[in-house]
Amino acid sequence: MPRSLAVVPHLVRMYVRTRMEYRGAMLLAWFAQALSYAATYTAIALLLLRFGNLGGWDWSEMALLLSFHLLAYSIGASLSFTQFRNIEEQVRLGTFDAVLIKPVSPWVYLVFSGLNIGYAGHIILAVGLMAWAVTQVAVDWSVLTALYFLASLISAAMVTAAIMTMIGATALVWVRSKHLFSIFFGFWELARYPLNIFPVPLQILMLTVAPLGFLAFVPVAVTLGKPVPLLGDWALFGSLAAGPLAVTLGALHWRHCIRNYQGAGG
Amino acid sequence: MAIIAASGVEKIFRQPKRQAGFGGAIRGLFSQEFTEVRAVDGISFEIQPGEAVGYLGPNGAGKSTMIKMMTGILVPTTGTVEVLGREPHSHRITNAAEIGVVFGQRSQLWWDLPVRDSFDLNRHIYDIPAPRFADNLARLTTMLDMAGYIDRPVRQLSLGQRMRAEIAMALLHDPKILFLDEPTIGLDVVAKDVVRKFLADVNRNSGTTIILTTHDLVDIEEICPRLIMVDDGKLLFDGELNRLRTALGSRRRLKLEFGTDPGPITLKTAQLVTDEGLAKHFLLESEQTSILDVLTELGSVHDLTDIKLEEPDIEEVIRTFYQNKLTSAGARP
Repeated sequence: MPRSLAVVPHLVRMYVRTRMEYRGAMLLAWFAQALSYAATYTAIALLLLRFGNLGGWDWSEMALLLSFHLLAYSIGASLSFTQFRNIEEQVRLGTFDAVLIKPVSPWVYLVFSGLNIGYAGHIILAVGLMAWAVTQVAVDWSVLTALYFLASLISAAMVTAAIMTMIGATALVWVRSKHLFSIFFGFWELARYPLNIFPVPLQILMLTVAPLGFLAFVPVAVTLGKPVPLLGDWALFGSLAAGPLAVTLGALHWRHCIRNYQGAGG
Repeated sequence: MAIIAASGVEKIFRQPKRQAGFGGAIRGLFSQEFTEVRAVDGISFEIQPGEAVGYLGPNGAGKSTMIKMMTGILVPTTGTVEVLGREPHSHRITNAAEIGVVFGQRSQLWWDLPVRDSFDLNRHIYDIPAPRFADNLARLTTMLDMAGYIDRPVRQLSLGQRMRAEIAMALLHDPKILFLDEPTIGLDVVAKDVVRKFLADVNRNSGTTIILTTHDLVDIEEICPRLIMVDDGKLLFDGELNRLRTALGSRRRLKLEFGTDPGPITLKTAQLVTDEGLAKHFLLESEQTSILDVLTELGSVHDLTDIKLEEPDIEEVIRTFYQNKLTSAGARP
Protein backbone atom coordinates (compact mmCIF):
# COMPACT_ATOMS: atom_id res chain seq x y z
CA MET A 1 0.00 0.00 0.00
CA PRO A 2 2.76 2.61 0.69
CA ARG A 3 3.98 2.26 -2.90
CA SER A 4 0.41 2.61 -4.14
CA LEU A 5 -0.04 5.84 -2.18
CA ALA A 6 3.31 7.22 -3.38
CA VAL A 7 2.07 6.79 -6.95
CA VAL A 8 -1.13 8.81 -6.33
CA PRO A 9 0.26 12.31 -7.12
CA HIS A 10 1.83 11.02 -10.33
CA LEU A 11 -1.41 9.37 -11.43
CA VAL A 12 -3.36 12.55 -10.70
CA ARG A 13 -0.80 14.62 -12.62
CA MET A 14 -1.17 12.31 -15.64
CA TYR A 15 -4.95 12.50 -15.48
CA VAL A 16 -5.01 16.30 -15.17
CA ARG A 17 -2.57 16.60 -18.07
CA THR A 18 -4.84 14.37 -20.16
CA ARG A 19 -7.86 16.53 -19.33
CA MET A 20 -5.90 19.67 -20.14
CA GLU A 21 -5.43 18.37 -23.67
CA TYR A 22 -9.13 19.22 -24.09
CA ARG A 23 -9.37 22.20 -21.71
CA GLY A 24 -12.10 24.04 -23.65
CA ALA A 25 -14.43 21.04 -23.39
CA MET A 26 -13.58 20.67 -19.70
CA LEU A 27 -14.41 24.29 -18.82
CA LEU A 28 -17.64 24.09 -20.78
CA ALA A 29 -18.61 20.88 -18.91
CA TRP A 30 -17.93 22.57 -15.54
CA PHE A 31 -20.12 25.49 -16.48
CA ALA A 32 -22.92 23.33 -17.92
CA GLN A 33 -23.09 21.07 -14.89
CA ALA A 34 -23.09 23.95 -12.39
CA LEU A 35 -25.82 25.67 -14.43
CA SER A 36 -27.92 22.50 -14.52
CA TYR A 37 -27.79 22.08 -10.71
CA ALA A 38 -28.40 25.80 -10.17
CA ALA A 39 -31.57 25.55 -12.29
CA THR A 40 -32.84 22.58 -10.26
CA TYR A 41 -32.12 24.37 -6.97
CA THR A 42 -33.80 27.54 -8.20
CA ALA A 43 -36.96 25.55 -8.94
CA ILE A 44 -36.89 24.02 -5.44
CA ALA A 45 -36.24 27.48 -3.90
CA LEU A 46 -39.16 29.02 -5.77
CA LEU A 47 -41.50 26.25 -4.62
CA LEU A 48 -40.37 26.57 -1.02
CA LEU A 49 -40.58 30.35 -0.99
CA ARG A 50 -44.13 30.02 -2.36
CA PHE A 51 -45.34 27.20 -0.06
CA GLY A 52 -43.21 27.83 3.05
CA ASN A 53 -41.62 24.45 3.76
CA LEU A 54 -41.16 20.87 2.68
CA GLY A 55 -41.72 18.30 5.42
CA GLY A 56 -40.95 20.99 7.99
CA TRP A 57 -37.79 22.23 6.22
CA ASP A 58 -37.70 25.88 5.08
CA TRP A 59 -35.61 27.21 2.19
CA SER A 60 -32.40 27.93 4.15
CA GLU A 61 -32.49 24.44 5.70
CA MET A 62 -33.20 22.93 2.31
CA ALA A 63 -30.29 24.94 0.87
CA LEU A 64 -28.01 23.37 3.49
CA LEU A 65 -29.40 19.91 2.66
CA LEU A 66 -28.98 20.44 -1.11
CA SER A 67 -25.46 21.82 -0.81
CA PHE A 68 -24.41 19.01 1.56
CA HIS A 69 -25.92 16.46 -0.83
CA LEU A 70 -24.07 17.94 -3.80
CA LEU A 71 -20.74 18.44 -2.01
CA ALA A 72 -20.63 14.97 -0.41
CA TYR A 73 -21.67 13.38 -3.69
CA SER A 74 -19.13 15.39 -5.73
CA ILE A 75 -16.21 14.49 -3.45
CA GLY A 76 -17.18 10.81 -3.42
CA ALA A 77 -18.04 10.67 -7.11
CA SER A 78 -14.86 12.45 -8.24
CA LEU A 79 -13.06 9.47 -6.70
CA SER A 80 -15.32 6.87 -8.15
CA PHE A 81 -18.14 7.56 -10.58
CA THR A 82 -16.55 7.72 -14.04
CA GLN A 83 -13.87 5.24 -13.00
CA PHE A 84 -16.33 2.57 -11.89
CA ARG A 85 -18.91 3.35 -14.55
CA ASN A 86 -16.24 2.69 -17.18
CA ILE A 87 -14.96 -0.49 -15.57
CA GLU A 88 -17.63 -2.46 -17.44
CA GLU A 89 -16.15 -1.26 -20.73
CA GLN A 90 -12.64 -2.08 -19.51
CA VAL A 91 -13.66 -5.60 -18.59
CA ARG A 92 -15.41 -6.12 -21.92
CA LEU A 93 -12.42 -4.87 -23.92
CA GLY A 94 -9.89 -6.63 -21.70
CA THR A 95 -8.09 -3.40 -20.75
CA PHE A 96 -8.77 -4.04 -17.07
CA ASP A 97 -6.12 -6.79 -17.29
CA ALA A 98 -3.51 -4.04 -17.66
CA VAL A 99 -4.54 -2.62 -14.27
CA LEU A 100 -3.98 -6.00 -12.62
CA ILE A 101 -0.41 -6.39 -13.84
CA LYS A 102 0.86 -3.26 -12.10
CA PRO A 103 2.57 -3.55 -8.72
CA VAL A 104 0.09 -1.18 -7.08
CA SER A 105 -3.39 -1.57 -5.66
CA PRO A 106 -5.81 -1.81 -8.62
CA TRP A 107 -8.35 0.32 -6.69
CA VAL A 108 -5.81 3.10 -6.13
CA TYR A 109 -4.67 2.94 -9.75
CA LEU A 110 -8.20 3.00 -11.11
CA VAL A 111 -9.45 5.76 -8.80
CA PHE A 112 -6.54 8.17 -9.12
CA SER A 113 -5.77 7.60 -12.78
CA GLY A 114 -9.31 8.86 -13.39
CA LEU A 115 -9.73 11.34 -10.52
CA ASN A 116 -12.49 13.43 -12.01
CA ILE A 117 -11.68 17.13 -11.85
CA GLY A 118 -14.85 17.59 -13.89
CA TYR A 119 -16.69 17.86 -10.56
CA ALA A 120 -15.11 21.25 -9.89
CA GLY A 121 -18.27 22.97 -11.14
CA HIS A 122 -20.41 20.96 -8.70
CA ILE A 123 -18.04 21.70 -5.83
CA ILE A 124 -17.88 25.45 -6.48
CA LEU A 125 -21.69 25.67 -6.59
CA ALA A 126 -22.12 23.46 -3.49
CA VAL A 127 -19.55 25.38 -1.42
CA GLY A 128 -21.09 28.72 -2.44
CA LEU A 129 -24.61 27.60 -1.51
CA MET A 130 -23.40 26.00 1.72
CA ALA A 131 -21.50 29.15 2.74
CA TRP A 132 -24.75 31.10 2.43
CA ALA A 133 -26.93 28.43 4.08
CA VAL A 134 -24.78 27.98 7.23
CA THR A 135 -25.27 31.65 8.01
CA GLN A 136 -29.05 31.44 7.53
CA VAL A 137 -30.00 28.30 9.46
CA ALA A 138 -30.83 28.37 13.15
CA VAL A 139 -27.76 26.48 14.33
CA ASP A 140 -25.60 27.53 17.25
CA TRP A 141 -22.28 26.71 15.54
CA SER A 142 -19.53 25.53 17.90
CA VAL A 143 -16.22 23.78 17.26
CA LEU A 144 -17.92 20.48 18.06
CA THR A 145 -20.83 21.12 15.69
CA ALA A 146 -18.43 22.19 12.95
CA LEU A 147 -16.27 19.10 13.51
CA TYR A 148 -19.33 16.84 13.39
CA PHE A 149 -20.51 18.59 10.21
CA LEU A 150 -17.12 18.06 8.54
CA ALA A 151 -16.78 14.46 9.73
CA SER A 152 -20.28 13.56 8.57
CA LEU A 153 -19.53 15.18 5.20
CA ILE A 154 -16.47 12.94 4.81
CA SER A 155 -18.51 9.95 5.94
CA ALA A 156 -21.18 10.77 3.33
CA ALA A 157 -18.54 11.09 0.59
CA MET A 158 -17.21 7.68 1.69
CA VAL A 159 -20.72 6.21 1.34
CA THR A 160 -20.86 7.51 -2.25
CA ALA A 161 -17.42 6.18 -3.21
CA ALA A 162 -18.09 2.82 -1.52
CA ILE A 163 -21.41 2.27 -3.31
CA MET A 164 -19.83 3.23 -6.65
CA THR A 165 -16.96 0.82 -5.93
CA MET A 166 -19.38 -2.00 -5.16
CA ILE A 167 -21.39 -1.37 -8.32
CA GLY A 168 -18.25 -1.15 -10.47
CA ALA A 169 -16.70 -4.22 -8.85
CA THR A 170 -19.79 -6.22 -9.77
CA ALA A 171 -18.81 -5.78 -13.44
CA LEU A 172 -15.64 -7.77 -12.72
CA VAL A 173 -17.83 -10.83 -12.17
CA TRP A 174 -21.00 -10.04 -14.15
CA VAL A 175 -19.24 -8.03 -16.91
CA ARG A 176 -22.20 -5.62 -16.97
CA SER A 177 -23.20 -3.42 -14.04
CA LYS A 178 -24.21 -0.07 -15.54
CA HIS A 179 -27.90 -0.72 -14.83
CA LEU A 180 -27.07 -0.65 -11.11
CA PHE A 181 -25.96 2.97 -11.50
CA SER A 182 -29.48 3.81 -12.72
CA ILE A 183 -30.85 2.40 -9.45
CA PHE A 184 -28.24 4.39 -7.51
CA PHE A 185 -29.22 7.65 -9.18
CA GLY A 186 -32.90 6.93 -8.56
CA PHE A 187 -32.26 6.91 -4.80
CA TRP A 188 -29.72 9.71 -5.17
CA GLU A 189 -32.47 12.01 -6.54
CA LEU A 190 -34.66 11.19 -3.54
CA ALA A 191 -31.77 11.77 -1.13
CA ARG A 192 -31.83 15.53 -1.73
CA TYR A 193 -35.22 15.82 0.03
CA PRO A 194 -36.10 15.32 3.73
CA LEU A 195 -36.49 11.60 4.39
CA ASN A 196 -39.62 12.14 6.48
CA ILE A 197 -41.70 13.09 3.39
CA PHE A 198 -41.37 9.52 2.04
CA PRO A 199 -43.35 6.42 3.08
CA VAL A 200 -41.79 4.31 5.83
CA PRO A 201 -40.73 1.37 3.57
CA LEU A 202 -38.75 3.82 1.43
CA GLN A 203 -37.22 5.36 4.55
CA ILE A 204 -36.11 1.89 5.69
CA LEU A 205 -34.64 1.19 2.27
CA MET A 206 -32.70 4.47 2.26
CA LEU A 207 -31.19 3.79 5.65
CA THR A 208 -30.23 0.15 4.94
CA VAL A 209 -29.67 -1.47 1.54
CA ALA A 210 -29.58 1.81 -0.39
CA PRO A 211 -28.10 3.95 2.39
CA LEU A 212 -28.30 7.29 0.61
CA GLY A 213 -30.28 8.71 3.53
CA PHE A 214 -26.81 9.14 5.06
CA LEU A 215 -25.61 11.11 2.05
CA ALA A 216 -27.24 14.32 3.29
CA PHE A 217 -30.50 14.01 5.19
CA VAL A 218 -29.27 12.26 8.36
CA PRO A 219 -26.17 14.45 8.95
CA VAL A 220 -27.95 17.71 8.10
CA ALA A 221 -30.98 16.80 10.26
CA VAL A 222 -28.61 16.04 13.17
CA THR A 223 -26.84 19.38 12.64
CA LEU A 224 -30.15 21.24 12.53
CA GLY A 225 -31.49 19.32 15.55
CA LYS A 226 -34.40 17.90 13.55
CA PRO A 227 -35.89 14.46 14.26
CA VAL A 228 -34.56 11.60 12.16
CA PRO A 229 -37.17 8.90 11.44
CA LEU A 230 -36.33 5.34 12.52
CA LEU A 231 -32.86 6.24 13.85
CA GLY A 232 -33.81 8.78 16.53
CA ASP A 233 -30.84 9.35 18.89
CA TRP A 234 -28.72 6.88 16.90
CA ALA A 235 -28.66 9.29 13.96
CA LEU A 236 -25.47 11.07 15.05
CA PHE A 237 -23.54 7.84 15.49
CA GLY A 238 -25.12 6.37 12.36
CA SER A 239 -24.11 9.29 10.16
CA LEU A 240 -20.48 9.02 11.33
CA ALA A 241 -20.34 5.23 11.11
CA ALA A 242 -22.08 4.92 7.72
CA GLY A 243 -18.99 5.94 5.73
CA PRO A 244 -16.43 3.64 7.39
CA LEU A 245 -18.95 0.78 7.38
CA ALA A 246 -19.76 1.27 3.68
CA VAL A 247 -16.03 1.48 2.85
CA THR A 248 -15.35 -1.76 4.74
CA LEU A 249 -18.15 -3.55 2.87
CA GLY A 250 -17.01 -1.97 -0.39
CA ALA A 251 -13.42 -3.13 0.15
CA LEU A 252 -14.55 -6.70 0.94
CA HIS A 253 -16.77 -6.77 -2.12
CA TRP A 254 -13.98 -5.33 -4.29
CA ARG A 255 -11.53 -7.98 -3.09
CA HIS A 256 -14.03 -10.74 -3.65
CA CYS A 257 -14.71 -9.53 -7.20
CA ILE A 258 -11.01 -9.09 -8.04
CA ARG A 259 -10.39 -12.65 -6.88
CA ASN A 260 -13.28 -13.92 -8.99
CA TYR A 261 -12.45 -11.78 -12.02
CA GLN A 262 -12.96 -13.83 -15.15
CA GLY A 263 -12.40 -11.26 -17.87
CA ALA A 264 -14.81 -11.23 -20.76
CA GLY A 265 -13.18 -14.22 -22.43
CA GLY A 266 -10.07 -14.55 -24.59
CA MET B 1 15.30 -24.13 -10.21
CA ALA B 2 12.42 -23.40 -12.57
CA ILE B 3 11.41 -19.74 -12.86
CA ILE B 4 7.88 -20.80 -13.85
CA ALA B 5 6.22 -24.08 -12.91
CA ALA B 6 2.73 -25.09 -13.94
CA SER B 7 1.36 -28.33 -12.59
CA GLY B 8 -1.97 -29.86 -13.66
CA VAL B 9 -3.42 -26.41 -14.31
CA GLU B 10 -7.06 -26.16 -15.24
CA LYS B 11 -9.15 -23.07 -15.80
CA ILE B 12 -12.87 -23.51 -16.14
CA PHE B 13 -15.08 -20.56 -17.02
CA ARG B 14 -18.73 -20.80 -16.01
CA GLN B 15 -20.94 -19.14 -18.57
CA PRO B 16 -24.72 -18.73 -18.59
CA LYS B 17 -26.39 -21.03 -21.10
CA ARG B 18 -27.87 -18.99 -23.95
CA GLN B 19 -31.03 -20.31 -25.53
CA ALA B 20 -31.90 -19.49 -29.10
CA GLY B 21 -34.62 -17.03 -30.11
CA PHE B 22 -36.68 -14.46 -28.25
CA GLY B 23 -38.47 -17.13 -26.18
CA GLY B 24 -35.13 -18.56 -25.19
CA ALA B 25 -33.93 -15.16 -24.05
CA ILE B 26 -37.05 -14.77 -21.87
CA ARG B 27 -36.67 -18.30 -20.44
CA GLY B 28 -33.03 -17.46 -19.71
CA LEU B 29 -34.19 -14.73 -17.36
CA PHE B 30 -35.86 -17.28 -15.10
CA SER B 31 -33.62 -20.34 -15.36
CA GLN B 32 -29.97 -19.91 -14.57
CA GLU B 33 -28.28 -22.76 -16.38
CA PHE B 34 -24.57 -22.64 -16.88
CA THR B 35 -22.12 -24.32 -19.18
CA GLU B 36 -18.55 -24.93 -18.18
CA VAL B 37 -15.85 -23.98 -20.65
CA ARG B 38 -12.53 -25.66 -19.96
CA ALA B 39 -10.08 -23.10 -21.34
CA VAL B 40 -6.98 -24.76 -19.88
CA ASP B 41 -7.06 -28.50 -19.32
CA GLY B 42 -4.41 -30.12 -17.15
CA ILE B 43 -1.37 -28.26 -18.43
CA SER B 44 2.03 -28.86 -16.82
CA PHE B 45 5.41 -27.42 -17.77
CA GLU B 46 8.51 -25.84 -16.29
CA ILE B 47 10.47 -22.91 -17.66
CA GLN B 48 14.06 -22.28 -16.63
CA PRO B 49 15.62 -18.82 -16.16
CA GLY B 50 16.80 -17.29 -19.43
CA GLU B 51 14.62 -19.44 -21.67
CA ALA B 52 12.56 -18.02 -24.53
CA VAL B 53 9.36 -19.99 -24.95
CA GLY B 54 6.73 -19.62 -27.62
CA TYR B 55 3.18 -20.52 -26.56
CA LEU B 56 1.36 -21.45 -29.71
CA GLY B 57 -2.15 -22.49 -30.54
CA PRO B 58 -5.19 -21.55 -32.59
CA ASN B 59 -7.85 -19.09 -31.39
CA GLY B 60 -9.56 -20.31 -28.23
CA ALA B 61 -6.76 -22.75 -27.39
CA GLY B 62 -6.25 -21.19 -23.96
CA LYS B 63 -3.03 -19.27 -24.63
CA SER B 64 -4.13 -15.92 -23.20
CA THR B 65 -5.81 -17.62 -20.24
CA MET B 66 -2.52 -19.32 -19.35
CA ILE B 67 -0.65 -16.00 -19.63
CA LYS B 68 -3.28 -14.39 -17.39
CA MET B 69 -2.78 -17.09 -14.76
CA MET B 70 1.00 -16.67 -14.87
CA THR B 71 0.68 -12.91 -14.47
CA GLY B 72 -1.78 -13.17 -11.57
CA ILE B 73 -4.81 -11.79 -13.43
CA LEU B 74 -6.76 -15.03 -13.22
CA VAL B 75 -6.86 -17.74 -10.57
CA PRO B 76 -6.50 -21.37 -11.73
CA THR B 77 -9.54 -23.56 -11.04
CA THR B 78 -7.31 -26.50 -10.12
CA GLY B 79 -3.58 -27.18 -10.22
CA THR B 80 -0.81 -24.79 -9.32
CA VAL B 81 1.10 -22.07 -11.09
CA GLU B 82 4.31 -20.77 -9.55
CA VAL B 83 6.21 -17.81 -10.91
CA LEU B 84 9.53 -16.95 -9.27
CA GLY B 85 8.62 -19.35 -6.48
CA ARG B 86 5.25 -17.87 -5.59
CA GLU B 87 1.59 -18.12 -6.57
CA PRO B 88 1.00 -15.15 -8.89
CA HIS B 89 -2.62 -14.46 -7.91
CA SER B 90 -2.05 -14.51 -4.16
CA HIS B 91 1.15 -12.43 -4.46
CA ARG B 92 -0.07 -10.35 -7.38
CA ILE B 93 1.65 -7.09 -6.50
CA THR B 94 5.02 -8.66 -5.61
CA ASN B 95 4.83 -10.76 -8.75
CA ALA B 96 3.92 -7.75 -10.89
CA ALA B 97 7.04 -5.90 -9.72
CA GLU B 98 9.27 -8.62 -11.14
CA ILE B 99 7.60 -9.28 -14.45
CA GLY B 100 6.84 -7.24 -17.55
CA VAL B 101 3.71 -7.78 -19.62
CA VAL B 102 2.89 -6.62 -23.13
CA PHE B 103 -0.55 -7.09 -24.63
CA GLY B 104 -0.42 -6.86 -28.41
CA GLN B 105 -3.98 -5.66 -28.70
CA ARG B 106 -4.34 -3.59 -25.51
CA SER B 107 -2.19 -0.54 -25.02
CA GLN B 108 -0.82 0.37 -21.61
CA LEU B 109 0.39 3.78 -22.79
CA TRP B 110 -1.57 6.96 -21.99
CA TRP B 111 -3.29 7.72 -25.26
CA ASP B 112 -3.32 11.52 -25.14
CA LEU B 113 0.11 12.07 -23.60
CA PRO B 114 3.66 11.79 -24.96
CA VAL B 115 5.26 8.33 -24.67
CA ARG B 116 7.82 9.75 -22.24
CA ASP B 117 5.07 10.56 -19.71
CA SER B 118 3.90 6.93 -19.60
CA PHE B 119 7.52 5.83 -19.10
CA ASP B 120 7.94 8.36 -16.31
CA LEU B 121 4.78 7.13 -14.57
CA ASN B 122 6.15 3.58 -14.69
CA ARG B 123 9.32 4.84 -13.02
CA HIS B 124 7.18 5.73 -9.99
CA ILE B 125 4.92 2.69 -10.20
CA TYR B 126 7.90 0.31 -10.25
CA ASP B 127 9.98 2.50 -7.95
CA ILE B 128 12.94 2.50 -10.35
CA PRO B 129 15.95 4.47 -9.06
CA ALA B 130 16.53 7.55 -11.25
CA PRO B 131 20.02 6.59 -12.56
CA ARG B 132 18.90 3.09 -13.52
CA PHE B 133 15.79 4.51 -15.18
CA ALA B 134 17.88 7.00 -17.18
CA ASP B 135 20.29 4.26 -18.31
CA ASN B 136 17.51 1.86 -19.31
CA LEU B 137 15.55 4.58 -21.08
CA ALA B 138 18.60 5.68 -23.08
CA ARG B 139 19.48 2.08 -24.00
CA LEU B 140 15.92 1.13 -25.01
CA THR B 141 15.42 4.38 -26.92
CA THR B 142 18.50 3.61 -29.00
CA MET B 143 17.80 -0.10 -29.47
CA LEU B 144 14.19 0.44 -30.48
CA ASP B 145 14.86 3.66 -32.39
CA MET B 146 12.31 5.68 -30.41
CA ALA B 147 14.13 9.04 -30.26
CA GLY B 148 12.04 10.46 -33.10
CA TYR B 149 8.71 9.95 -31.38
CA ILE B 150 9.24 9.59 -27.64
CA ASP B 151 7.92 13.13 -27.08
CA ARG B 152 4.87 12.72 -29.30
CA PRO B 153 1.39 11.82 -28.00
CA VAL B 154 0.67 8.11 -28.29
CA ARG B 155 -2.43 8.77 -30.42
CA GLN B 156 -0.16 10.09 -33.19
CA LEU B 157 2.03 6.97 -33.41
CA SER B 158 1.87 4.16 -35.93
CA LEU B 159 1.10 0.68 -34.63
CA GLY B 160 4.73 -0.35 -35.06
CA GLN B 161 6.00 2.67 -33.11
CA ARG B 162 3.43 2.06 -30.39
CA MET B 163 4.37 -1.59 -30.04
CA ARG B 164 8.06 -0.68 -29.69
CA ALA B 165 7.09 1.79 -26.96
CA GLU B 166 4.93 -0.85 -25.21
CA ILE B 167 7.83 -3.30 -25.18
CA ALA B 168 10.26 -0.64 -23.94
CA MET B 169 7.85 0.31 -21.15
CA ALA B 170 7.57 -3.32 -20.03
CA LEU B 171 11.37 -3.56 -19.79
CA LEU B 172 12.19 -0.29 -18.01
CA HIS B 173 12.17 -1.94 -14.58
CA ASP B 174 14.42 -4.85 -15.66
CA PRO B 175 11.84 -7.59 -15.22
CA LYS B 176 13.07 -11.13 -14.74
CA ILE B 177 10.33 -12.44 -17.00
CA LEU B 178 8.71 -10.75 -19.98
CA PHE B 179 5.28 -12.01 -21.03
CA LEU B 180 4.07 -10.97 -24.46
CA ASP B 181 0.56 -11.73 -25.67
CA GLU B 182 0.67 -11.61 -29.48
CA PRO B 183 3.27 -8.84 -29.72
CA THR B 184 3.48 -8.79 -33.52
CA ILE B 185 -0.22 -8.90 -34.32
CA GLY B 186 -1.17 -6.34 -36.95
CA LEU B 187 2.40 -5.14 -37.54
CA ASP B 188 3.88 -4.80 -41.01
CA VAL B 189 6.84 -6.95 -42.09
CA VAL B 190 9.48 -4.36 -41.18
CA ALA B 191 8.00 -3.64 -37.75
CA LYS B 192 7.68 -7.37 -37.03
CA ASP B 193 11.32 -7.85 -37.92
CA VAL B 194 12.44 -5.04 -35.57
CA VAL B 195 10.39 -6.45 -32.69
CA ARG B 196 11.60 -10.02 -33.24
CA LYS B 197 15.27 -9.05 -33.46
CA PHE B 198 14.97 -6.89 -30.36
CA LEU B 199 13.25 -9.60 -28.29
CA ALA B 200 15.80 -12.22 -29.36
CA ASP B 201 18.56 -9.80 -28.36
CA VAL B 202 16.97 -9.06 -24.97
CA ASN B 203 16.67 -12.78 -24.26
CA ARG B 204 20.19 -13.70 -25.37
CA ASN B 205 22.12 -10.72 -24.06
CA SER B 206 20.16 -9.61 -20.99
CA GLY B 207 19.06 -13.08 -19.93
CA THR B 208 15.43 -11.99 -19.59
CA THR B 209 13.12 -15.00 -19.69
CA ILE B 210 10.55 -14.55 -22.46
CA ILE B 211 7.17 -16.21 -22.83
CA LEU B 212 5.19 -15.15 -25.83
CA THR B 213 1.92 -16.25 -27.34
CA THR B 214 1.51 -15.91 -31.05
CA HIS B 215 -0.20 -17.14 -34.16
CA ASP B 216 2.86 -16.28 -36.19
CA LEU B 217 5.36 -19.11 -36.37
CA VAL B 218 8.11 -16.83 -37.57
CA ASP B 219 7.97 -15.15 -34.13
CA ILE B 220 8.79 -18.51 -32.60
CA GLU B 221 11.41 -19.46 -35.15
CA GLU B 222 13.30 -16.21 -34.61
CA ILE B 223 12.85 -15.70 -30.88
CA CYS B 224 12.04 -18.96 -29.14
CA PRO B 225 14.13 -22.11 -29.23
CA ARG B 226 11.39 -23.83 -27.23
CA LEU B 227 7.79 -24.24 -28.23
CA ILE B 228 4.75 -25.13 -26.17
CA MET B 229 1.84 -26.00 -28.39
CA VAL B 230 -1.73 -26.19 -27.12
CA ASP B 231 -5.14 -26.89 -28.53
CA ASP B 232 -8.52 -27.11 -26.79
CA GLY B 233 -6.72 -26.21 -23.59
CA LYS B 234 -4.51 -29.31 -23.75
CA LEU B 235 -0.77 -29.55 -24.17
CA LEU B 236 0.12 -31.02 -27.56
CA PHE B 237 3.84 -30.50 -27.66
CA ASP B 238 6.58 -29.11 -25.45
CA GLY B 239 10.11 -29.08 -26.74
CA GLU B 240 12.57 -27.64 -29.18
CA LEU B 241 11.10 -26.32 -32.38
CA ASN B 242 13.18 -28.64 -34.56
CA ARG B 243 11.75 -31.62 -32.67
CA LEU B 244 8.21 -30.60 -33.55
CA ARG B 245 8.43 -31.95 -37.08
CA THR B 246 9.33 -35.40 -35.80
CA ALA B 247 6.80 -35.24 -33.00
CA LEU B 248 4.00 -34.42 -35.38
CA GLY B 249 5.14 -37.10 -37.82
CA SER B 250 6.14 -34.71 -40.59
CA ARG B 251 8.60 -36.11 -43.06
CA ARG B 252 11.42 -34.47 -44.96
CA ARG B 253 11.01 -33.96 -48.69
CA LEU B 254 13.56 -35.26 -51.19
CA LYS B 255 13.72 -34.08 -54.79
CA LEU B 256 15.73 -36.06 -57.32
CA GLU B 257 16.44 -34.63 -60.78
CA PHE B 258 17.60 -36.76 -63.71
CA GLY B 259 19.19 -36.04 -67.12
CA THR B 260 16.92 -38.63 -68.74
CA ASP B 261 13.61 -39.95 -67.38
CA PRO B 262 14.44 -43.17 -65.52
CA GLY B 263 10.75 -44.26 -65.40
CA PRO B 264 8.99 -45.23 -62.15
CA ILE B 265 11.28 -45.60 -59.16
CA THR B 266 10.36 -47.44 -55.97
CA LEU B 267 12.48 -47.03 -52.83
CA LYS B 268 12.27 -48.61 -49.35
CA THR B 269 13.68 -45.53 -47.69
CA ALA B 270 11.38 -42.99 -49.36
CA GLN B 271 7.84 -42.78 -50.70
CA LEU B 272 7.25 -41.32 -54.15
CA VAL B 273 4.63 -38.57 -53.97
CA THR B 274 4.98 -36.72 -57.29
CA ASP B 275 6.50 -37.98 -60.52
CA GLU B 276 7.29 -35.27 -63.10
CA GLY B 277 9.44 -37.49 -65.27
CA LEU B 278 12.82 -35.78 -64.96
CA ALA B 279 12.02 -34.66 -61.40
CA LYS B 280 10.67 -37.00 -58.73
CA HIS B 281 9.49 -35.95 -55.26
CA PHE B 282 9.75 -38.30 -52.29
CA LEU B 283 8.92 -38.19 -48.60
CA LEU B 284 11.59 -39.82 -46.46
CA GLU B 285 10.19 -42.64 -44.34
CA SER B 286 12.34 -42.03 -41.27
CA GLU B 287 14.19 -39.25 -39.48
CA GLN B 288 17.24 -41.52 -39.50
CA THR B 289 17.31 -41.91 -43.28
CA SER B 290 20.21 -40.01 -44.83
CA ILE B 291 20.85 -38.97 -48.43
CA LEU B 292 23.54 -41.60 -48.48
CA ASP B 293 20.95 -44.30 -47.67
CA VAL B 294 18.83 -43.12 -50.59
CA LEU B 295 21.77 -42.95 -52.98
CA THR B 296 22.90 -46.42 -51.95
CA GLU B 297 19.45 -47.82 -52.59
CA LEU B 298 19.15 -45.92 -55.88
CA GLY B 299 22.45 -47.28 -57.19
CA SER B 300 24.47 -45.68 -59.97
CA VAL B 301 22.44 -46.85 -62.96
CA HIS B 302 20.35 -43.67 -63.23
CA ASP B 303 21.43 -40.38 -64.77
CA LEU B 304 21.06 -38.40 -61.53
CA THR B 305 21.92 -34.70 -61.99
CA ASP B 306 20.76 -33.03 -58.77
CA ILE B 307 19.47 -33.91 -55.32
CA LYS B 308 17.69 -31.66 -52.88
CA LEU B 309 16.61 -32.43 -49.29
CA GLU B 310 14.07 -30.05 -47.71
CA GLU B 311 13.00 -29.83 -44.09
CA PRO B 312 9.20 -29.46 -43.92
CA ASP B 313 8.09 -25.87 -43.43
CA ILE B 314 7.04 -25.49 -39.78
CA GLU B 315 3.88 -23.62 -40.71
CA GLU B 316 2.92 -26.39 -43.06
CA VAL B 317 3.63 -28.99 -40.37
CA ILE B 318 1.29 -27.33 -37.93
CA ARG B 319 -1.36 -26.57 -40.50
CA THR B 320 -1.34 -30.22 -41.60
CA PHE B 321 -1.55 -31.29 -37.97
CA TYR B 322 -4.63 -29.15 -37.25
CA GLN B 323 -6.25 -30.14 -40.56
CA ASN B 324 -5.74 -33.84 -39.78
CA LYS B 325 -7.19 -33.24 -36.34
CA LEU B 326 -10.27 -31.53 -37.77
CA THR B 327 -10.72 -34.29 -40.36
CA SER B 328 -10.51 -37.02 -37.75
CA ALA B 329 -12.93 -35.12 -35.50
CA GLY B 330 -15.36 -34.78 -38.43
CA ALA B 331 -15.05 -38.48 -39.23
CA ARG B 332 -16.15 -39.54 -35.76
CA PRO B 333 -19.71 -40.95 -35.57
